[in-house]
Amino acid sequence: MNRRTALKHAIAATALSLCAASGPSSAAELSGPVNYVIPFGPGGESDISARFQQPFFKKMFDQDMVISYQPGGGGAVGWASLNGLEADGQTIMGINLPHIVIQPAQKEVGYTTEGINAFHFFHYTPDAIVVQADSPYMTLADLVADATENPGQVTLSGSGKATANHLAQIKFDKLAGVKTTYVPFKGTGAAVTALLGGQVKGAWGYTTVGAAQGEAVRMLAVAMQERHPLFPDVPTFIELGYDMVGGAYRGIALPDSAADDVVTMWSDMISQINADEEFRQQMLDNGFAMLDVDAAGMDAFMAERTEEYLSDAREAGLIE
Amino acid sequence: MEAGSFLAALTPLNLLLALAGVAAGTLIGSIPGLTATMAVAVLVPITFTMEPASALILLGAIYTGAIYGGAYAAILLNTPGTPSAIATTFDGYPMAQRGDGDLAVALACFASVTGGLVGALALLFLAPPLSRVALAFGPVEYFWLAIFGLSLIAALSSGALWKGLAGGAFGLILSSVGVAEVSADIRLTFGSQTMIGGFGVVGALIGLYCVPVLIDLVAVPERHLKIADEIDTMPIGRAARLVLGSKVNVLRSSVIGTLVGILPGAGGSVAGLVAYSEAKRNAGPEQRFGQGEPDGIIATESANNATVGGGFIPTLVLGIPGTPPDAVILGALLVQGVRTGPALFESGGGSIAYTFIYGLLIATVLMLPVGLLIGRYAYRSIVTIPKAMLVPGVAFMTVIGTFAIHNSVSDVTLMILLGVFGWVVGRFGFSASPIVLGLILGPIAEQGFVQGWIIGSAMEDLPGMFFGRPLSLAIIAFTLMSLCWPMVAARRQARATP
Amino acid sequence: MSDAARAGSSTGTLLVSLFFIVAGIVTLYDTTTYTDVDSKVFPRAAAILLILAATISLVTDLVRGARESGFGNGDWWRRLLLVGAMLACCLAMPLTGFLPAAAIAFLGALVAAMHQRWTARHVLIYGVSGAVLMGGFYALFRYGLNVPLP
Repeated sequence: MNRRTALKHAIAATALSLCAASGPSSAAELSGPVNYVIPFGPGGESDISARFQQPFFKKMFDQDMVISYQPGGGGAVGWASLNGLEADGQTIMGINLPHIVIQPAQKEVGYTTEGINAFHFFHYTPDAIVVQADSPYMTLADLVADATENPGQVTLSGSGKATANHLAQIKFDKLAGVKTTYVPFKGTGAAVTALLGGQVKGAWGYTTVGAAQGEAVRMLAVAMQERHPLFPDVPTFIELGYDMVGGAYRGIALPDSAADDVVTMWSDMISQINADEEFRQQMLDNGFAMLDVDAAGMDAFMAERTEEYLSDAREAGLIE
Repeated sequence: MEAGSFLAALTPLNLLLALAGVAAGTLIGSIPGLTATMAVAVLVPITFTMEPASALILLGAIYTGAIYGGAYAAILLNTPGTPSAIATTFDGYPMAQRGDGDLAVALACFASVTGGLVGALALLFLAPPLSRVALAFGPVEYFWLAIFGLSLIAALSSGALWKGLAGGAFGLILSSVGVAEVSADIRLTFGSQTMIGGFGVVGALIGLYCVPVLIDLVAVPERHLKIADEIDTMPIGRAARLVLGSKVNVLRSSVIGTLVGILPGAGGSVAGLVAYSEAKRNAGPEQRFGQGEPDGIIATESANNATVGGGFIPTLVLGIPGTPPDAVILGALLVQGVRTGPALFESGGGSIAYTFIYGLLIATVLMLPVGLLIGRYAYRSIVTIPKAMLVPGVAFMTVIGTFAIHNSVSDVTLMILLGVFGWVVGRFGFSASPIVLGLILGPIAEQGFVQGWIIGSAMEDLPGMFFGRPLSLAIIAFTLMSLCWPMVAARRQARATP
Repeated sequence: MSDAARAGSSTGTLLVSLFFIVAGIVTLYDTTTYTDVDSKVFPRAAAILLILAATISLVTDLVRGARESGFGNGDWWRRLLLVGAMLACCLAMPLTGFLPAAAIAFLGALVAAMHQRWTARHVLIYGVSGAVLMGGFYALFRYGLNVPLP
């Protein structure tokens, strides 16, 4: 070939190789310990699931995961500050459903549901009705019977108002056609204490409560499609005739100004932890239920959940 | 209670962890803004590579050291290093002001060690039965406990009763700022996003106690605290004699601390307050509570360290954290696969629990030499340091400490503004303690009231709910006693003096 | 106490008590905006208690004569400098990062607290120890406790 063609080929080759070289190097990387902010106090389900992730993160990605707490407003303080944090990928924050859908719909909390840059939901804790081991309620039917005969006198504790527990209580009341009384407590721990102390007749909690309390409590039903592997004897609400599946979903978000490749990197990292057999087993053994919603499927998932929660909350009278 | 667990607690590693933990905890607790919870939370990942028992010993040692360390700043700077040291300022700072700061620090050490031992021994021998106490306390009992605490504020503001009540009520209102726990309303934020989280206790603590002290320190050239004649030797003997002479006080306060520690959500600040007030009520007519009475420090410091052992009772037996650091430790245990509950105390799983308890006992004992040593250096440095170094140093630490709570600059700004406010109202007789105690007790009172109301209404028996339960009646009786006591004592004194 | 001082401190007491009363009224007003009945009870009770207690303490102070001595002596400029430096630190922190802002607070407090004459030796000692203190704590918090200081 003549010189001009050779030159063109050379330029093209150089250009191609430059493109190829810049491709993989534009992927994001961690530059040090990461800051995992939990918008609640220590000891709750968000904290525990993060603590479970911590050693796997260190093992897989060779970086420290530092868990810090930013409680306040039922999570609102943390989520309101999320988009003001460093967006370099070193800081992530735990997020919870239904909180991030219901809170902004109810009042001015400093953030919007759409503004939360979620990249993964990795587990949920299915709703469950829990009673003391020596409670007169042996099955869910007993509780429904008592509530029917004595409207309002069946007291059920739960964590906070306008939370998963509260929504579950409202929904079940409607499905069963009964009236129970919901007593809000500050966190699942306080709600369970009240249950164990006999202050209330039952509790709207999660399967994790059943796992943590073991013999001291009895779960009457769980809101899952199929029975939880840890509790083969506990029926689902569906089996008993109530169409209830759900619970509190927990995931992780980045500030909304984070670059796309940072989001992808984190989504992949969390997915990798979530795929680890040992991690999954540990979560299941503690009563959690696994979920694998990554960044790719996030939009569809959030749209579905948002619609579901908003309509539930509207029916419950929590929002207009 | 096997000998094997005891020996396991004595391994060189565990001993080292206990020692290092207590020392580190004391230093952390002495810095206003750094709490035991923060210290424990940061060190949890280190424990993943350790045996569960060793991890627990380290975290427990840090926790107990931090509760003791809070007394340093309380005594020498009138700023509680941790909320549990609030009541230590009542007599600690006056003692320091008249030159007895070293005695106060030594007293705090002895009291903390004995209180910690009582709490840990209760954990060792009486954990399962005592855990029932945690469960017997329902919302209504918490409500009355908070009311009791508020009545103590009033009773302790002798001579300025109404100012104390006003401060307490203001603290209650401050605690309502932000998102309400009992409903989903946002209260008293006036549209500001920063205020949605409300006033944090630690930031308010630093602002209301420390900043006024700094403002007054810069204004006059005199030394901060009188230097006693010999500051090279701690008055250890004197302190020991005082503690031995106050056996009833020590024991009663430690028991109070243990019981309050068992109640989830109550905490060291309430324990110190109740113990202090009981000590004052039972003291002879020559007592100088509030003006530098050693028994005051003995009461508060033994009570707050007893909450460490007490708090572990519901944590280990029921899986319900007694205090915030317990919640972090619980999380760490879960990651290690340790299941809490009565099974923890039986053999097999029992060895972890008992090794830990023995380790906690050892750490508490080690706190005596460690605490006295660190206390001596803390005392010397704060007393001899020139003001021009002390003030900027403390100012810097308040900034960094407040910032570190939530990584927020607005927390620091709020702290400073609260501090100026506290200084202004303090100048006219409204002291900081009622406001801070109102801030702490507010949520407890409100949640207890609303929950009790909901349950009582559901049961259609409101009066019975609030006034018919034996525990509540006992607390109400104490409340009435503490409110009437100042009047009875004054009348008795008037009759005594001719 | 001189009559002037007593008058001064009575006005001070009056103002502080008035502030508390106003705070109580503002709280009561705010409770009318709440949607949930449960959230109204507590702030209302606390506000009523506050107004009551502040009023009574105001009356007893005026009648009995204020015991507290008001703002007392001491250099005002030093106090203002201290508070001003700390507030300046807060304002500066988002812009300059932690250490420069903290240095502002430190220096302000240092000048405010320094009652002796400034000598070169003082500058050296205080400067170095200040730098060591700030640097040391910064490192402790940033690397030891993993606090993301700006």
